[in-house]
Amino acid sequence: MSGFDRYLHTIIEQGSAEAHQDGSATIEAQHLLLAIAAQPEPTLESAGLDHRTIRDALEREFEHSLAAAGVSRATFDLPRPTRNPQPPTQLGASAKLALERLARSHRKKDLRPGHLLLGILQAQAGTVPRALALAGVDRADLTARVLRTLPDAGE
Amino acid sequence: MPAVENPVSPEPADALASVAALRRLADQIEDAAVEQAMRAGWSWPQVAEALGVTRQAVHKKHAKRLIAAGVTLRRR
Repeated sequence: MSGFDRYLHTIIEQGSAEAHQDGSATIEAQHLLLAIAAQPEPTLESAGLDHRTIRDALEREFEHSLAAAGVSRATFDLPRPTRNPQPPTQLGASAKLALERLARSHRKKDLRPGHLLLGILQAQAGTVPRALALAGVDRADLTARVLRTLPDAGE
Repeated sequence: MPAVENPVSPEPADALASVAALRRLADQIEDAAVEQAMRAGWSWPQVAEALGVTRQAVHKKHAKRLIAAGVTLRRR
C-alpha cells in the first residue's frame, strides 16, 4: 500500500465512524471532511476550521436548508433512535464524486493527502460548500491554500 | 411577507438543498418512529402499511438496528 492509500483508508474508516455517529447509512463527503479535520490539518486550521467548527457549520447548514422549506427540526420531538450496530461501509454519492475528482485529475503515484481535501472542496454544490459558505469560509481561497501545499501546484 | 405563503425558496440552490435536508430529516424521523412503534407492539406489516412501503423494505432497513436495541419484534 502506498502512503496515499494508507491515508485514504484511515480517512474512510474515520469517515465511517462520523457517518455512524450522524445516523447516516452512507459515508458522505462531509464525513470525510470531518475525518480529515479530526487529525491536525494546518491548511484547514489556517482558515479557522477544525473538527468542531466544521461540525457546527454542518449543523447550521441542515437547519438552514430545512428552513428554506419552512421546516424546523424542533417540530419533531421523538426519542433518539438506537443507532445501527454496524457503522456504514458504503460511500455515498458526494464522497464518490470527491474521489472521482482526484482520480480524474492526478496520476495515482502523484496523489498526496491534500488531494483528497481538494477533491472535497472542489464540489460546486451540496452540503459541504453550503456549510463552508455559512461558516463564512472563502472556498476559493481555501482551495488555493491547499493547492500551494501540493507539489504539483505549478501545473 | 409573501415568503410565509410559499416557504420553499425561489433560489434553486436553496430549494435543492432543502430536498436533501428533508430526506435526511425524514430518515431520522423514520428511525425514531419505527423504533417507537415496534416498542409499542406494532407488527412489521402494520409499520410497513403506515409508511406506505413493503414489509421487506421496512424489515431490511430496520431489523438489525431494532434487534441490537433489544426490541421484541412481532412477526404479525
